[in-house]
Amino acid sequence: MRKLLAILACKVGYFVGKLVGKGSSLPGKLALQLCPDILSRVQLPPTVIAVSGSNGKTSTVEMIAAILRADGRKVIYNKEGSNQTEGVATLILTNASLSGKVRADVLLMESDERYAARTFQYFRPTHFVVTNLYRDQLTRNGHPESVYDALRPALLPETELVLNADDPLSSCFGLDRDNVTWFGLERCAYSVPSPTGVYHDGAHCPVCGGAMEYDYVHYNHIGAWRCTSCGRARPATQYAATALDLRKGLLTIDGTVNIELAFRSIYNVYNILAAYAVCRRCGVSAGTAAGVIGNYVLKNDRMQTFRLGAHHGTLLTSKHENSIAYDTNLRYVQDCGTECVVVVIVDAVSRKYFTSETSWLWDIDFDHLDSPNVKRVILSGRYCNDLAERFAYSVLPAEKWEVVEGIPAAVETLKASGSEEIYVLTCFSDRDKFLTLTEREA
Amino acid sequence: MNLTIFRFYPDLMNLYGSYANVSVLSRLLERLGHAVEVRDVAPGDAAGLADADFLYMGAGTERRQQFALADFRRFADDARAAANDGLPMLFAGTAMELLGESVTDANGNTVSGIGLAPFQTVQRARRIVGDVYGRTELFPEAVVGFMNKCGVISGVDSPLLDALDMGFGNDAEHAPEGWHSANVYASELTGPLLVKNPKLLEHVAGALLTRKGLTIPDEWPVDVWARQGYDVTARELAARRDKA
Repeated sequence: MRKLLAILACKVGYFVGKLVGKGSSLPGKLALQLCPDILSRVQLPPTVIAVSGSNGKTSTVEMIAAILRADGRKVIYNKEGSNQTEGVATLILTNASLSGKVRADVLLMESDERYAARTFQYFRPTHFVVTNLYRDQLTRNGHPESVYDALRPALLPETELVLNADDPLSSCFGLDRDNVTWFGLERCAYSVPSPTGVYHDGAHCPVCGGAMEYDYVHYNHIGAWRCTSCGRARPATQYAATALDLRKGLLTIDGTVNIELAFRSIYNVYNILAAYAVCRRCGVSAGTAAGVIGNYVLKNDRMQTFRLGAHHGTLLTSKHENSIAYDTNLRYVQDCGTECVVVVIVDAVSRKYFTSETSWLWDIDFDHLDSPNVKRVILSGRYCNDLAERFAYSVLPAEKWEVVEGIPAAVETLKASGSEEIYVLTCFSDRDKFLTLTEREA
Repeated sequence: MNLTIFRFYPDLMNLYGSYANVSVLSRLLERLGHAVEVRDVAPGDAAGLADADFLYMGAGTERRQQFALADFRRFADDARAAANDGLPMLFAGTAMELLGESVTDANGNTVSGIGLAPFQTVQRARRIVGDVYGRTELFPEAVVGFMNKCGVISGVDSPLLDALDMGFGNDAEHAPEGWHSANVYASELTGPLLVKNPKLLEHVAGALLTRKGLTIPDEWPVDVWARQGYDVTARELAARRDKA
């Protein structure tokens, strides 16, 4: 009876929520209050896939869903990104019959790293993908190893893991178990000999603390690693990117599967590999998977285009407090080669909580902007002084960057001169403060 | 004058932009006309503290802190002697915990610290995070920063910050924070601490200069961005405190 009530409440709550434009975690929360073990009392589909990790969760989940649907399966997933236990409950119960049978072939979930252990005490994923683990939102997450410790209990022994062989930390989840599928990117034209970035979390082995060596690296400490002390090393992969040409937008998996890239970034290659690997493990053919990923344009709105005066612009959503998300976009701007002006905005550090914490700015590799195509950099928002202080310690010459505190004033400054492309780097918390002052493109 | 900063474990102990504490200290000293050498010490590296004008170690994860401590023990006697001799040093973030008598991890395992300071740290599973706004006896301006630790530190006889207006101190909400004795400065505050607090940077740089027999300038060179950044953060945190 409580089960029926919880399912009903969730469905009604979701419907009402939709009408008034409320978030998708509230109905699940209500259901969990009515019946705390509701998630262990529903009948789940045969395939249950969870995706977690510091970066790339949303994109990876979206591609997995597209591939499995192309394979003819009914997939439900939390596309609104509500990835804590309540959001997952909303997803499951709104798609369940009143008797509790989830009407889908595949339940696919983006899962918050810290909430996964709570969510998966009620039911078990058949497959668990971890994209990577590195510095992300440390005000909330502490540090990467505390996230590792929080996520580990969610990875139950019977769940098959799909792990990134190139990441020394999240690959530790594969220690002492053999139901692991590994993906990775082999040496390619973009490999560099040693770790990059302003901090070196991969300099020491996460298990024994010994010095690590790298045959090659693709970004930060993601690459072919080996501990000189305990001997642990990058595991052999089952699914590997064997060739990559970002300029032509061509990726080859396992030597034979060719994919054209819509978004030409090395970070996107890892998301593709994760999605490809888990779908292959779920029985999808290489051809079907490659057919969907080829030229796949992500629907999540991390990139938004606009016009401002004589400029065309792109806003690259870069999560504040996540240095690698910033590095991804900085590298994108550098690699695109387009003559441009770059705007970095830090106004509210988070949209969910108050903090004046800006130490994460020191983890971002702003030196990427010391590139001939970047003509000018404007720093804006309430914490523009912290940004400026950080830039004063970058390799960028002082005449290349300027500070315009108010976002409207920064917009006017841009409008008043030039016609080069604009790249705006900022977070969900701040992006509309800029975009609403521009002419949006569809 | 040539000045040498020893930076311990720059890769292991470098969370929350810790390295920037040394960046701003070096630049300030350079602006005063001194040549600064930052000598990085990795685990296993030979290092004679007699060559140092300043010692620094930053924040690390609890596992990495243990790796750092295992190596730093060989410097324990020299570091205590140097502290008695007035060598300025800053232990920021979890590095502070290593100075004490003991560190107990979340599983209850206790290891001894280097015994330079009289406190004990007990780490717990739950992390302690939040903005911090407090005062020190060293100068009138408020100290700002962010706390991100899991260690509760008891037995501190001489804190760096007095009772906090906002945030968790050494062992409780609003309790005093950090440790300070002669020229040794220790604080779990991130920010990074010396970036976010230009006055503390000047104070620490002043300790270094004085020990070397160098003059402290009447007017410190101004870092406009750091000072304005401090003003904004102090204003935001004070407003938050007043609302609470």
